[in-house]
Amino acid sequence: MTQRTAIHAFRLLVLMGCSAPALWLAWQWFYGDLGVVPGEAVVHFTGTTGLSLLLITIAFSPAFRFTGWVGFMAARRQIGLWAFFWLVAHMLAWMGLDQYWDWPWIRREMVELPYIRYGAAALLLLVPLALTSFRRAQQGMGRTAWHWLHRLVYVSALLGVVHLWILTRADYLLPSVFAAVLFALVVFRLIDAAIHRQ
Amino acid sequence: MNRYRYPAIPESEVTPRELLHTRRRVLKGGLALGAAAVAPGLLWPREGQAWQGLLEQRLATGLPSQELAGGESPTSLRDITTYNNFYELGTGKRDPEIYGHQLVTDPWSLAIEGEVDKAGTFALEDVLKHQDLEERIYRLRCVEAWSKVIPWVGFPLADLLKRHEPTSRARYVVFETIHDPDNLRGQRRGVLDWPYREVLRIDEAMHPLTLMAVGLYGEVLPNQSGAPIRLVVPWKYGFKSIKSVVRIALVEERPLTSWEERNPEEYGFYANVNPEVDHPRWSQARERRLGESGRRETLMFNGYAEEVANLYSGMDLQRHY
Repeated sequence: MTQRTAIHAFRLLVLMGCSAPALWLAWQWFYGDLGVVPGEAVVHFTGTTGLSLLLITIAFSPAFRFTGWVGFMAARRQIGLWAFFWLVAHMLAWMGLDQYWDWPWIRREMVELPYIRYGAAALLLLVPLALTSFRRAQQGMGRTAWHWLHRLVYVSALLGVVHLWILTRADYLLPSVFAAVLFALVVFRLIDAAIHRQ
Repeated sequence: MNRYRYPAIPESEVTPRELLHTRRRVLKGGLALGAAAVAPGLLWPREGQAWQGLLEQRLATGLPSQELAGGESPTSLRDITTYNNFYELGTGKRDPEIYGHQLVTDPWSLAIEGEVDKAGTFALEDVLKHQDLEERIYRLRCVEAWSKVIPWVGFPLADLLKRHEPTSRARYVVFETIHDPDNLRGQRRGVLDWPYREVLRIDEAMHPLTLMAVGLYGEVLPNQSGAPIRLVVPWKYGFKSIKSVVRIALVEERPLTSWEERNPEEYGFYANVNPEVDHPRWSQARERRLGESGRRETLMFNGYAEEVANLYSGMDLQRHY
């Protein structure tokens, strides 16, 4: 397999991997397999998928550094946009399926509940990243500025983990896994930066 | 007293009672034959099976029913039994249904001890045979802001406690859930400090609304709902209504409850349903009634203010949440 084919195959794999959960969710919804409160199940599923993909997006850089394989860089924008898509879906599912588009309550929850605020901030931070994810934006901004801006992904992921952590009631297994992965990614990023500075 | 009407279940889904029992007899017969081949001594039913038989007999006799949910119709059996919090069986809402079989309810005994004149450990059938059963339709409001309307079958806790003659020093009633980490997957993880423990003030425990439930929708309580015997305190958040109780102790000094120990800021001792006192992380003003879309307003004391508000007169409910 040539380098080009391998990259194409990998990008196709990312496409399938990131869209398959949507098909699965639609299937479950259609057949009524999402339990007694399907809206809640959709909110949880989209959020977990979105945050997982966001962490995987961040992990693509170290994966490239370790393996030297450019496929990771070639698919990074795509998976980042998928993460954004899932997190937007998460917000819409919360607004529509959990809050039933009840705007006064949506506003009230945003004002009163810290975890909603953290989640909203995490998503808001991703908006400029999604908007500047295209090559032309990257060129227009200049690489240095673009890289600085896109480091916001770490802040967004951190806010996302905090969001999940504080809404958890007793079982901290899932948020702990997310926190540990994020921690490892940040440590890697700092070490990598230190090495490159030398 | 309103006559309670069961929601329509298609005839096709209902096993006629005679057939049900025939099936059970066939099963039991088969089991007995198998047992007879191995050990003749096992031919007779084991002692533990007695409570099931006794309870089924009593449930078949048409129990008096009291509708105490303001005329609201009961939540469907499916919704009641597939969306539960029972951390002993896992923290997912469907875990209790999926892993319910891990709860071994047969045989079951209940220890009643502490500040009572008649303490002891009793086989569940011996507890049940003294109690008159009745149906009570109550609202149940979870601290997580969802709710159900449930047709319980049970008896007032006061009846049971009085039978064991509490002493004058009995000020609190402590309840404990079964501790069986070999079988209960949730208890192999330290999500809470097992066994689960709840506490009521003696006047709350003696209140006529406080129920010990052994049935649901006219049948034996399903495992995920806290079989074989559980507490039901309809004016408090659901976590107070401890499931699968093995021990009741009357005490003078109050121990902490499991949730209080875990997080006293979020789960107070009283845990009375109160739309004006929010959980630190979410609002308690509204609730999602399972089976309905949208939200409804949460009622003070879950709609039982008339019956129970006097238990807390003069208390600052913002402080004693």
